[in-house]
Amino acid sequence: MDDVLIAPDIDYLAVAPMIIVGVTAVVGVLVEAFAPRRPRRGIQLVLTFGALIAAFVVLISQAGTRVITGSLAIDGPSLVLQGLILLIAIVSAMLMAERRVDPAGDAFSPRASALPGSEEERVLSTRGFMQTEVWPLMLFAVVGMMLFTAANDLLVMFIALEIMSLPLYLLAGMSRRRRLLSQEAALKYFILGAFSSAFFIFGAAMLYGFSGTISLPGIADALSANPGQTPLIFIGFGLVVIGLLFKVGAVPFHQWVPDVYQGSPSAVTAFMAAAVKVAAFGALLRFLYVAFGGARWDWQPALWIIAIATMLVGSILAITQTDIKRMLAYSSIAQAGFILVGVIAVNPEGVAAVMFYLAAYGFATLGAFAVISLVRQDGGEATHLSNWAGLGKRSPVLALSMSLFMLSFAGIPLTSGFIGKFTVFEAAILADAVPLVIVGVIASIIAAFFYVRVIVLMFFTEPAEVGPTVVLPSVFTTLVLAISVAVTVILGVFPQPVLDLVEQANVFLR
Amino acid sequence: MTEIGTGEAIVFWVCAVLSVTGALGLILSRRTVHSALWLALTMISLAVLYIANAAPFLGMVQIIVYTGAVMMLFLFVLMVVGVDSADSLVETLRGQRVAAILLAVGFGVLLTAGLGSALSGIPMAGLDAANAEYGGNVEGIARLLFSDYIIAFEIVAALLITAALGALVLTHRERWRPKLTQADLMRQRIASGAPGPLPTPGVFARHNAVDTPALLPDGTLAEQSVPAPLRARGDLRPVDIGAVEETRALTEGEAVFGPTVTPVADDPGASPGERS
Repeated sequence: MDDVLIAPDIDYLAVAPMIIVGVTAVVGVLVEAFAPRRPRRGIQLVLTFGALIAAFVVLISQAGTRVITGSLAIDGPSLVLQGLILLIAIVSAMLMAERRVDPAGDAFSPRASALPGSEEERVLSTRGFMQTEVWPLMLFAVVGMMLFTAANDLLVMFIALEIMSLPLYLLAGMSRRRRLLSQEAALKYFILGAFSSAFFIFGAAMLYGFSGTISLPGIADALSANPGQTPLIFIGFGLVVIGLLFKVGAVPFHQWVPDVYQGSPSAVTAFMAAAVKVAAFGALLRFLYVAFGGARWDWQPALWIIAIATMLVGSILAITQTDIKRMLAYSSIAQAGFILVGVIAVNPEGVAAVMFYLAAYGFATLGAFAVISLVRQDGGEATHLSNWAGLGKRSPVLALSMSLFMLSFAGIPLTSGFIGKFTVFEAAILADAVPLVIVGVIASIIAAFFYVRVIVLMFFTEPAEVGPTVVLPSVFTTLVLAISVAVTVILGVFPQPVLDLVEQANVFLR
Repeated sequence: MTEIGTGEAIVFWVCAVLSVTGALGLILSRRTVHSALWLALTMISLAVLYIANAAPFLGMVQIIVYTGAVMMLFLFVLMVVGVDSADSLVETLRGQRVAAILLAVGFGVLLTAGLGSALSGIPMAGLDAANAEYGGNVEGIARLLFSDYIIAFEIVAALLITAALGALVLTHRERWRPKLTQADLMRQRIASGAPGPLPTPGVFARHNAVDTPALLPDGTLAEQSVPAPLRARGDLRPVDIGAVEETRALTEGEAVFGPTVTPVADDPGASPGERS
């Protein structure tokens, strides 16, 4: 027994991107406390973009790092996914910074604490108050997401899950327009999210009971040392996977998705849809591959059922939607199913395909929600599908970019979505999951129906008498649209550099 | 293999029953305050179980942090919101409660059966060896926290800051108009034109109900005398002008009491807001 505590050895350079974002978030909280109100927004914008870009630059300089430090694994997949999260965060921060679209200010309620519809809210809104706390909250969410993809033990994974989710619960409830819907969305997200976190932590306790450790490689070692199946493993695995699949939005854990996507401000929905999926799939991949890669034959059948159900339910229910945000929510469920096909492959090609798909899906989603935030009526967004009739005649550029995102979601060649679906299905075929691919193709065809319906609605339908107006955005949303269109086209036409990148980074450290 | 002593078995069975009772009471009681108190019972029983299982640190933290701080905060919030507020137990989705109960019971049975079969016949290791490694339970936890789990320990800070920030964002109200001083309030009252109290309701000696407006000297109604909520509902009792005339005649000696005079109907009648 030695009395000297050996200081833990942490490779601070490898985790520097997370430290940068986290420390800036704390500085942002201090700015909220001490800076005068007027320059606050400017300071927060500088801090947010500065931190995200600095973290990305440091991450690039660390591109060759492959190290396990403490409970974090900085390896190929976590570096790629963290970079992707940072890029998505930068683009969605631009969307959140837009203040010309809504005549009253930005997308967020002037004070989240003001009663919806109260005099206080109206006065604060006309005086141009803004809730600048959204910026540190967003940075905290980014820290949580980055940790989530790198977490190499269940405890850090759980804390990262909470750091990621708490700010999103809050941001979901802070919409400036239709605040009751937004608050309902936040409450639903919070209660169901807390429920799924409980599943996760309960499962983690079971896995600890089985293996005596919470580190993912440790669980893998315990599994190979005791190949006899015990119910503890089944219960623990099932509960942890339920917690992760909830964040991904897979059927049957998808109930929250439509309500939350519809109620949240579009900028937050875009961030949530794109970045949470990246983080949650990163954690799911690491959990399944590192801890349970050796036991894949036991869990693959269960995930087959979930993937098939997710693809079909998402695609079919999306057809019946009349609200474009709800439609995109169900579409994101279907997309989660397609990504799950790549997860189930359990080969390096699968990891690469999932990462590519996440990039393609993430930027198309950002673009689609940026378009949604521009089509407005009476101050708020015009999300009913009938409002979109004839949009192509009124605003061809916007309608064309929306069509591009829809085609990418549908997986039409020359868009990023096609390459994404192709690589995912290819990885699944390599893993002999042909039936899964067949279901995936059928679901894609069903999904293509409602994506194409939006295009038909925009270009081949007469506009309504009193249609919505398309607002001219500031440079922020314009940039978001330009970046999303560019990424969607480039990943579709010239995907090789990114494919090479994800193929170099497709092995998890153990 | 460590055997369970008699004392330990008694502690277990008492605390197990108490904690399950508390948990059931938590979800079954209709008043939130009762739920909170049941939850406190569960937490205290769990703390006793932890301490009995050679984990004094966890037990103390359970009592100090959960029962002491969290539960008391919980109760404060309930007291501020209102002790009497009970949940509305209306089902918005038909059959949801039955389905939820069935699924929960099924899930519970599944978990119990699985855990029962997994854990039966497993020898107990006890915590003694683990506690002895670094010279005690608290020392061992400290060592683990600051070495193996240092990252988890550090990133919890981000979680706590987020939670505090979130609570502030959702509840903190900045003053958006200047605070009214007593002088301001007085000026407002004088400027309103009615610095004194409002007239009281009631007409002569016939009715003094709150929904009966007072009469001004010229015989018109003083609508202000009826409380604003009643006015908003349209609950002004119509004044029986005939009765007023009658009373005036009586007081001025133009009429006398007696059977010759047609009696005035003293039926207050249904006020417009009442539903028959």
